[in-house]
Amino acid sequence: MSQRILIVDDEEMIRLLYRKELSQGGYEVDTASSGAEAIKKVSQGNFGVVVLDIELPDMSGLEVLQKLREIAPETSIILNSAYTTYKSDFQSWLADDYIVKSSDLQALKHKIKQLVVAR
Amino acid sequence: MKACETSSYPAIGLQDTVIWDGLDRLGMGLFRLNEEGYITQFNAVAAGILALDRYGAWDDLHISKVDRVLATGLADQFEDVINGSLTFVRKNLSCTNSRGRFMVVNLVGIPIRSGENAGKEVLGIVEDCAIAHHEADDPSNVHQQLRILSEVAAALSSSFELGQILKIILTGATASQGLGFNRTFLFLYDEEADKLRGHMAVGPSSAEEAGRIWKRLDSMRLSLSELLDAHQSEAGSGTDALTSLIADLHVDLNGDSLISSACKSGTWINLEKVEEIDPVTTTFVERLGTPRIALVPMVSKGTLMGLLAADNYITQQPISDDAVQLLQVLANQAAVAMERAKLYDAERERAELLERMNLQLAESQDQIIKIEKMSVIGELTSAVAHELRNPLTIVGGFANLLLKSNLTDEQREYLNIISSEIKRTESVVDHVLDFSRASKNENRPIELSGLVERNLELLRGRLRQRNVEMSLSLAQEKLMVHGNPDQLSHAVYQMLKLVAEDVIPPGTAEVRTERRDERACLLIKFFCPDDGKEKTIKALKQIFADNKASQRLTVLVAVETIKYHGGEFGLAVGNDSLPYLYIELPLIEEDQSEPAHIDRR
Repeated sequence: MSQRILIVDDEEMIRLLYRKELSQGGYEVDTASSGAEAIKKVSQGNFGVVVLDIELPDMSGLEVLQKLREIAPETSIILNSAYTTYKSDFQSWLADDYIVKSSDLQALKHKIKQLVVAR
Repeated sequence: MKACETSSYPAIGLQDTVIWDGLDRLGMGLFRLNEEGYITQFNAVAAGILALDRYGAWDDLHISKVDRVLATGLADQFEDVINGSLTFVRKNLSCTNSRGRFMVVNLVGIPIRSGENAGKEVLGIVEDCAIAHHEADDPSNVHQQLRILSEVAAALSSSFELGQILKIILTGATASQGLGFNRTFLFLYDEEADKLRGHMAVGPSSAEEAGRIWKRLDSMRLSLSELLDAHQSEAGSGTDALTSLIADLHVDLNGDSLISSACKSGTWINLEKVEEIDPVTTTFVERLGTPRIALVPMVSKGTLMGLLAADNYITQQPISDDAVQLLQVLANQAAVAMERAKLYDAERERAELLERMNLQLAESQDQIIKIEKMSVIGELTSAVAHELRNPLTIVGGFANLLLKSNLTDEQREYLNIISSEIKRTESVVDHVLDFSRASKNENRPIELSGLVERNLELLRGRLRQRNVEMSLSLAQEKLMVHGNPDQLSHAVYQMLKLVAEDVIPPGTAEVRTERRDERACLLIKFFCPDDGKEKTIKALKQIFADNKASQRLTVLVAVETIKYHGGEFGLAVGNDSLPYLYIELPLIEEDQSEPAHIDRR
């Protein structure tokens, strides 16, 4: 059971915050700041969960989601966005969950834990 | 009645036919009574009025027998008159003679003596007021005809209103100052069905009514113009009893009938002079109660507008062709006026339609601008909200992270403040995002009670936590409003939530929906104890104050949403002194896509 988590977000401080918070929860955390970097890291390493932002500088998080599903179908993916609108986009339904960004990370941590246990 | 001087008898020679002829021309009836009260001589007019030509029906021509029918009172006072102590005068006596002719008569009985040695006699002079009046204004007189036509034309040209025009026609035809027919019936042409339909009638429905009306009109001494003016300003449509006589009378113009022929040829018919009457016309005259009718089509530029039927049902006077011809001229003028009125109505309707369309266009333009504005605002707020979400997540997230480390109490307190304020700001961002997302949805009919019920249900958990009870009372009927369901739902939810969380202390409130005239209302009523009313009102004012600067963003958005939907929001105090909040929205019919008018401010 892998406890490796990949945080994909173009916002450096978000990456830092999530890394700190999840590391404290006992997870091994890696980060990527773009879609291409995320695809590369997932194809090379074994991640249990990917926390994926949608608004990325090089491509849409929904495109990244499709690619990740192809290269690592076993990896759980949580879409994590400041936008709620993508929830209604059918492409987002490929993800295991959709969590809107919040200063309260309880919901995100709870979901990660669920997915890790489920694997 | 006044006694005359017995010594001075009028010095008229009754054998002088010149006098009789002269009085004949004036339309007066003369008769001579001998000392025993027998009528010994009479002229044609008197014969017509007193029905003396039916003498054969009586044993003799004694005044008492005449009076049994006419009840003039002359027979009772004959002795006084013959003795010269009284001149018998009776004015405006309504009576019906033995031929069934109704009249209003003036009767004078004068004591006379033809010569020194002649016996006492009484000279009777009688006149039928209606005939006397008409003959004084004889329509066959060219000058009189022109006056009538000119006055009716002037009245017709003063109005564009069809009802008034029809009233003028009928008044002109029946007034004694006009054509003087007893009754006139108006039938309008239904082109689609090719039928004449009874529309309106003017005139007395009985002899008694005729007596009353004609006496009253006579006493008013109005000119035709004055009478037409007076009738124009009167409400109503003709004489009710007479109008109801023809209200359901339809005449089919398809077949061959005198009426059909008159209408098709545009030529009048005096039925009095027609020997054979077809079944359709027979039905027509039977309904009107007399075959002595003039039928006059109303034609304008070859188009049949209707038919006038006029008669002298009450006085039984014959209808002269001259009078019918004159009625035809009046009918032609009236037909032109009717066509003009119809054109005027059509133009007015077009102008009103144009005005309505212009108004709708202006409203639509205004709405488009508003929608564009809302769309831009929606996109802008959405972008701003998203831009805010990341920094809020970072600041709040690190504050929460820091709270897990070793801190002094003071540091912990400050971090808790940062964390809670960040949460509040995130909540505002959520509301703004909800609203901007809602603004993209299309408007449609929404049932207000259902919308309120669903939103209140979402709040049940919070209400239980705060030990607040909100009862729900929904209108029995459907309260359909038009709008963006998400926006309205958001506005209602935010209102209820604010009330539940910030206004009501542990206690009760009632959420009610109801119809008020053309508005659908949501009322939130607060049941607070007497000593808590002021506090509740103060709390409500603080949150929902009119001053926008002091309002919360959530309230501002909700209120603007309601206003955008043509509604109103406010705080009021009921008759029971309990404060309540209300939201009013324009009602629509269930199958209506939009309210008739929304004032989108």
